[in-house]
Amino acid sequence: MTVAPRELRLRMTSDPANLASVRREVEAFTAACGFPDPARGEIVLVVNEALANITRHAYGGAHDRPVELVATFEHGLLRITLRDWGCGEAPARRAVDHDPLQPGGVGLICLHRLMDTIRFTPQSDGMLLTMERRL
Amino acid sequence: MDNLNTATDLIPAARQEGDSIILSVRGELDLHNSPELRTHLLDLLNRTKPRRLVLNLGGVPYMDSSALAVLVEALKKMMKTGGRVFLVALQPRVKGLIEIARLATIFGICASEQDALAEKIP
Repeated sequence: MTVAPRELRLRMTSDPANLASVRREVEAFTAACGFPDPARGEIVLVVNEALANITRHAYGGAHDRPVELVATFEHGLLRITLRDWGCGEAPARRAVDHDPLQPGGVGLICLHRLMDTIRFTPQSDGMLLTMERRL
Repeated sequence: MDNLNTATDLIPAARQEGDSIILSVRGELDLHNSPELRTHLLDLLNRTKPRRLVLNLGGVPYMDSSALAVLVEALKKMMKTGGRVFLVALQPRVKGLIEIARLATIFGICASEQDALAEKIP
């Protein structure tokens, strides 16, 4: 029996008030894909952190700019893309031994540690972030 | 023991016991409400100047790095005067974030408020 690929598409603004509802949608989607905890919680955290970074860094704190999330699940691979139309700069990665009391960078650490792959692809008008995790 | 006014639903209960402040935090904490948490937490610290801050996070099922940054700011403020911050009753997803951020050995992590209040302050 072939299992049809699943897809989640969300279009939202960069308002942090949207984060909770996006987390619920991603949680429900990853649960339907078969991800157990703690993996499910890790994926939810990663999406939240990536969206927060878009608000803060790609959009300089603006709350009214567009963000598009697409999540697909096929052959055991979850792929999540986040598209923004912001500054188009990929974030610099914090050193592994950075002082944990210094602010900033934890979100990106979460992305790198909790997803199997992450890739920032600059667009002519923003950024495409692609993250993958295998079930 | 004195009950403290917190003026925010994020901190539904707060009390002072000697030089310790014990706060219950409630709800999912993210970039949307972490600024509010910061305002009220720092206000409480400025008003009470405790040597020990106990944050009961049993009612926090989720926290992101912006909220964690608020806790770190409170910790750094306390450390300036030799104080300590204890995090109590961590839910699994919150504990996971604290471990990723390598803060598990910098905060005191306790199962209960009682355990946190029994910890010695240097």
